[in-house]
Amino acid sequence: MSLLFRIVVYVPVLFLVALVVVGQHHATAQETIRAAVARTVRWVVWSAMLVLTMTVLGWLFIGG
Amino acid sequence: MTRKATDPTKGLGWGVFLAGTVPGLLQYRLGQPRNALLAALSCTALFFAGWALVGHRLFYWGLVAPEDSTSLAQYLARYGALVLPEVLNLPANTLGAVLAFDGSASGLREERLLGAGEHIGGWLTAASGMLAAFWAAQAHWELRLRRDARPVDGQPLPKPIAHPALCAALSWLVPGLGHAKAGQKDKGVLMGIAVLAVFAIGLVVSGGRAVDRADNAVWWIGQNLFGGGSLFASLVTAPIRGEGVPIDLDLGVVLCTVAGLMNLVVMVDAFTVAERSVFPVATPADVAGPEGGGEVSA
Repeated sequence: MSLLFRIVVYVPVLFLVALVVVGQHHATAQETIRAAVARTVRWVVWSAMLVLTMTVLGWLFIGG
Repeated sequence: MTRKATDPTKGLGWGVFLAGTVPGLLQYRLGQPRNALLAALSCTALFFAGWALVGHRLFYWGLVAPEDSTSLAQYLARYGALVLPEVLNLPANTLGAVLAFDGSASGLREERLLGAGEHIGGWLTAASGMLAAFWAAQAHWELRLRRDARPVDGQPLPKPIAHPALCAALSWLVPGLGHAKAGQKDKGVLMGIAVLAVFAIGLVVSGGRAVDRADNAVWWIGQNLFGGGSLFASLVTAPIRGEGVPIDLDLGVVLCTVAGLMNLVVMVDAFTVAERSVFPVATPADVAGPEGGGEVSA
């Protein structure tokens, strides 16, 4: 339950962080939101790849 | 119109940077005695207002606890050099450390005891360090203006839409307020909501325990980069010490620290937005201007 809760918190927080990060390169809220959505999608994909890699490494070196 | 004088990416040097840790020194050097006095008095008063409440406990919250030892880190800690962000207000912090240090066994035991009003006291001393940083930013801006924005034909120095250091300071207290002051209201609201939301989630999931300088002193250094949030926590949530440890305390601590670090980005951006009203981003045409010394419109 706690793990599921953390995953549910993770994506919105990633979007909020992206708002601030991309906000530096834009002057209006509309441009910032558009860029933040794209950045969040990219970060989620990277996060998923990281989790997948760690799972595979765990499976290889520690075992299922 | 202003003429490009120096590479704008070049800093003002280590001397100026370090002088910024003595509130008022840079203003004195700039020939602003009133500002120098105001900077020195405001930072010192704020520090000792907090120090009167928190006393020696403040130095127990440094990166290294001060002890009567000969190691370099503990020697530095004894003089308050490892207490952030108070060290940015170097004279008051050093004096406070010298006055508070008690190397005796009973003195060291007392450092572990809670004190009344220590949360707000710790916030006030930290605010003195942040205020010193904002005064330093004000002086850095004025020095940069004199170096890079030399007016053509005796015109006065250009004025920014808002003072960059003031924008950064406002953002420290209320994220996004600095952007509103610098003319980017909607972006400021958006960034402010982002910082506030992450901070609020952190406080809620931790049952209000995430932002407590006495419990999480090193994390608090990052959390305090959102001054309004850490002030709220110091007054409302930190003094309430509940029983047990919330299951998501670690998540809350990390989220509140992330919110503080996000606000650091917001503060720097607010400074930059105001700065660009005088020093706009150079276009390729400016860079390749006549003899490399093209004119930049103010």
